[in-house]
Amino acid sequence: MTRTHSSLTELTEEQEAATVTPSDDPAAPRRRWWQARTEASRIWRQPVVVVALLVAGAWLVVAIAAPLLAPFDPLQQSSDVYASPGGDHLFGTDALGRDVLSRVIYGARLSIPLALTIVLCALAFGGLLGLVAGYVRGIIGESIMRLTDLFFAFPQIILAMAVAAAFGPSTLNAVVALVIVSWPIYARVIRGAVLSIRSEDYLNASRMLGVGPVAALRRDVMPNSFGPAVVLATLELGNSMLLLAALSFLGLGPRPPAAEWGAMIALGTNDISRWWVSVFPGLAILTVVMACNIIGDALRDRFDPQSVGGR
Amino acid sequence: MSIAISSARGLRPTRYAAVAVGAAVLVSGCTAGSSSSSGGSGGNGGGGGGGGGETLLVNTSFVYSTLDPARAYEQTGYLTIHSLCDTLMTFDGGNVGEPLPELAEGFEVSEDGTTYTFTLRDDAVFSDGSPVTSEDVLFSLNRMMNVKGSGSAFFEGLEFSAPDESTVVVTADRPTAEVPTLMAMPVTSILNQEVATANGATDAEDAETADTAQTFLDSTSACAGPYVLERNDPGNEIVLTANEEYWGEAPGYSRVVIRNADAQNQKLAISRSQGDEIALDVTGNLLDGLPESVNVSQVEDTLYMLYMSTDPAISPATSNPDWRAALRSSLDYEGLAGLYGQGGDRLGGFLANAYPGSLPVEEGPERDLDAARASLEASGVGDEPVRFIYPSITYRGVDLGTVATKIQGDAAEAGINLELTPLALPAFLEEQRGGSVVMGLTPHALIYPRPESLVRQLSPGGVNAERVRWSDGPAAEEVTAAAERVLTAVDGTELESALVDWQQAMRDGSPYLPVAQNSGSVVSTEDVADAEYTPAGWILDLAAVEPA
Repeated sequence: MTRTHSSLTELTEEQEAATVTPSDDPAAPRRRWWQARTEASRIWRQPVVVVALLVAGAWLVVAIAAPLLAPFDPLQQSSDVYASPGGDHLFGTDALGRDVLSRVIYGARLSIPLALTIVLCALAFGGLLGLVAGYVRGIIGESIMRLTDLFFAFPQIILAMAVAAAFGPSTLNAVVALVIVSWPIYARVIRGAVLSIRSEDYLNASRMLGVGPVAALRRDVMPNSFGPAVVLATLELGNSMLLLAALSFLGLGPRPPAAEWGAMIALGTNDISRWWVSVFPGLAILTVVMACNIIGDALRDRFDPQSVGGR
Repeated sequence: MSIAISSARGLRPTRYAAVAVGAAVLVSGCTAGSSSSSGGSGGNGGGGGGGGGETLLVNTSFVYSTLDPARAYEQTGYLTIHSLCDTLMTFDGGNVGEPLPELAEGFEVSEDGTTYTFTLRDDAVFSDGSPVTSEDVLFSLNRMMNVKGSGSAFFEGLEFSAPDESTVVVTADRPTAEVPTLMAMPVTSILNQEVATANGATDAEDAETADTAQTFLDSTSACAGPYVLERNDPGNEIVLTANEEYWGEAPGYSRVVIRNADAQNQKLAISRSQGDEIALDVTGNLLDGLPESVNVSQVEDTLYMLYMSTDPAISPATSNPDWRAALRSSLDYEGLAGLYGQGGDRLGGFLANAYPGSLPVEEGPERDLDAARASLEASGVGDEPVRFIYPSITYRGVDLGTVATKIQGDAAEAGINLELTPLALPAFLEEQRGGSVVMGLTPHALIYPRPESLVRQLSPGGVNAERVRWSDGPAAEEVTAAAERVLTAVDGTELESALVDWQQAMRDGSPYLPVAQNSGSVVSTEDVADAEYTPAGWILDLAAVEPA
């Protein structure tokens, strides 16, 4: 089951702390590792996960090998406007006679790396703030978390639209806008993870050995708290792609004539009787986002102790 | 021009459209358009199903803020007000070449072209049965001027008087041929002075603040028109019923429901309708795929134009005449016109075909990539990116982003580097007003159907010229002289000759580049007759529409 964004935002601190469960049993780590390996092997053999991995892998190949796979230059205009799918143009052409298949293929080069960039930047920024908020606590930690609450108070797409519109439409500004609206969830999850391990014996031991807070964060806290965030990042990859496409759909993403899936859908909605202009980029988004979500689900089942697979 | 589509293709299977919509919704749940109405089957929204002819259903994307004639300025407001309120003059269908008398029996013009004397009909009455007098006309015209609505700007320099009960005199501070046309604009609608005054209207000089009749006029008509207002629900529908006291010919339908719907829904509705139904925003490429049974009336009345700053401090490229010449030679005008679908065409000059003085298409610019490259080299500008703004809207069925992208692609083939910058409409207008636009694309429809309005706006000293900082230079002087001849021409032949000179002067030296013209359209079902598009400003004379 995919955990929704809103349910994550409603996690209480106790629930956050429970996402990583400490144990006093010295044999527990080895036992958990063995159980996890068995579970992992079962999870990755599920047909739906296998298909998702294949789809995600296929899109990565498409993105990397776009110049080899695309039959036409995605920006090349022609007089063959609104050609139906088939013949020379498998996915048809758009209002400017551009090959839709080539634009969908090149769109992968834009949408997938940008979604990854958004997730990584948000993970880095939100993760850092979450680490500090969980480890330092006090007024600094509280301030960070109240700031996080403030961001959660706005619907993501509305806030992203406001930021992107204020900066002006461009690829960089769309990415910045989406990083700004995406980081809080990472801050909250990582803070929860840090809260659950900050009283662990190994941290107390390192403190007694004189290890400073920065070194402790870097060496002990960070590696042990990023697991849930990585799972979340995989789930958020699909969400980031949708948000990016939504901004582009609204004219706030990469500038024309760039082949971006959301912008291509927007172009197609001018005349829905030419269904191929918007359906194929829509299917591209659908498949990538579904693949990301299924893989994220599988990862969550694998790592989350609260889920069936993770138990 | 009114044409009937004879070879339209059928709609694609609905399931594909549904998938397309579904895919679009997948993106964000955000869909374009602002309509609050459904695109359900037509012919039943107002009881017009079955082709009974009692009720006519008119679908349009609502654009209006008021039905007060003095304050109205938008398309839907004009459409409605024209059916509620008669004016001194009017136009017959789509022919805007010659204004015809309506509440006036006729007019006389002085030899110097400055004084117009209108004689009123003696049988015209308001919807309450009281007669229309020159006092009502004078009150309505003075109120329009003093309320200072957007439409009043075109009446500057005019004064009104009523020497007797059936005569109204309009005096201009210059010779002009525009007065009869101006007296047909919906802002000059004649109000029942007694009713309007009782509900807060005033024609005093402080009417801008003292007049409080807008709320009343948004819910009740106090005019002498073929219809009266039954209901005004701004988000959903406007309902008109026939004026039982109307002095003229009774309208074809006893009831008209004007319904708010976006263009895509209008297309679906008109395609499936079995009743008396009309769509006003199905135009451009949206006309493709309509059933063969529908009637389409189109008039080429909209100009699409590039404008470029002449200030070197703003752009060394666009201020360079050679660079502008390179851009002019680089564009594929035939391909650009094709983007507008059935209603699009190339332009010969600056005036769309609907207006007198328009030049033949053959006189328009042609694509010549070699000449473009040579001009670009002569300019010495190189391939520095030039910021090219446009509003990210769909206007009359055509996405301006698609037009801009086509221009960018064409120019790139000649080595010209345009940086596409789509802007939301408010941001676009704000940047335009700021006067720092490097290069922009905008549709240009005449605010009232006289070419003088375009001449006034584009020539040095006009609103558009100020935006591109075009005020001096040999070309500006030549255009100013030609514009003066246009604006003072009283005779029709003299006007057409002056317009030709003006357009030729503009073509050679102005910072504007017209790229194509497009049509406004009225699409009606086979149960409806005489649904004719007019470039007069009100799109369609609802009273003239009849059951087939």
